[in-house]
Amino acid sequence: MKAICLASAMTIVLLVLVTFCFRFYPSAHRARQMLFVYLFCLAVLVALWFATPDDLGLLRRSLLTEPAWLDFAATLFFFSAAFFGGALQLYNLCDRGFSLRILVDMLEAPTGAVDVDYLTANYSSGRGLVWMYRKRIDDIIATRFIDQVNKRIVLTAKGEMFADLFINARRVLGLELPQ
Amino acid sequence: MTSSPALVALAAAAVWFVVFFFAHIGGVRAGFENARWLLISYAACVLGTLVTAIVLTAWSNGMQTIVLAATMAALTSACLFALYVPALYTVLTSLSVQTMMLLRRRGGALPEAELYDRFASRKIMEQRLATLLASGYVAPKGPSYRLTPRGRAIAKFFRLIKILWNLGPGG
Repeated sequence: MKAICLASAMTIVLLVLVTFCFRFYPSAHRARQMLFVYLFCLAVLVALWFATPDDLGLLRRSLLTEPAWLDFAATLFFFSAAFFGGALQLYNLCDRGFSLRILVDMLEAPTGAVDVDYLTANYSSGRGLVWMYRKRIDDIIATRFIDQVNKRIVLTAKGEMFADLFINARRVLGLELPQ
Repeated sequence: MTSSPALVALAAAAVWFVVFFFAHIGGVRAGFENARWLLISYAACVLGTLVTAIVLTAWSNGMQTIVLAATMAALTSACLFALYVPALYTVLTSLSVQTMMLLRRRGGALPEAELYDRFASRKIMEQRLATLLASGYVAPKGPSYRLTPRGRAIAKFFRLIKILWNLGPGG
């Protein structure tokens, strides 16, 4: 139970710190900023785990996780999953989610119902779909999966490796591949 | 020899998650609608996880230990699910990933204009609206679309997070 208590408390601290950083120290690389906050919180969590008694001064003996190494591993796993599967995904959805942005655009539209042309032209508060795709191309160029050569987009060796991984994943799921 | 209830709980969660993983893949391959099947198969496996953890710890432990094992098992399962779903949807819907797969299948290079025609066009908007329609987030209204109460609630929640985190429109 110590693992659950500490990991939950530290996840709340992480969310507060991320909110603080995003509001008062805005950065162009927010995912990286979140990762630094996670690493800081992880270090504090490890220190806290070793500094506190097994029962946290309040848990009954029957609620203690044994052996102790398992409690430590569970603490790290719960906290890391809360970050990579929770906080970071929440950020990704908010900042990059295509479907979600369509829903927000519909919510902010001056009329109750909108058509495909309106959404295409006014995607992301009027930026449009070309901006959306440019952002994605720029991001995968920055991560060196692709390169831009004379108005052509070229897959790098690293990009080929990851593309093969995704193609195999879609094959395992029995899904169509892009043609 | 007595096993640690926490270890039993974690092992039960891990084994049932493997069962879920293969059940989910099998269902998608068999043509089940992904989102619905994902939830059904996961719910069944969470139930299996809880029953296994409770039954295996109930033999030689008191109620509090059983609660600990059940909580550990449920939380471990939820964490595994939270890590699995984003990875799955990256493969299923990410435009960046689709771009890379298309490039790979077309010899590793394509004109930029061709990619924009495909991924920044009216057609991609139509496809995504069809997905949102099937998921019940939007509803048709003549030739247009409107948000359903569920879609409105989701949009309002995420707009609130965007404001809280000072994110700008994004997308």
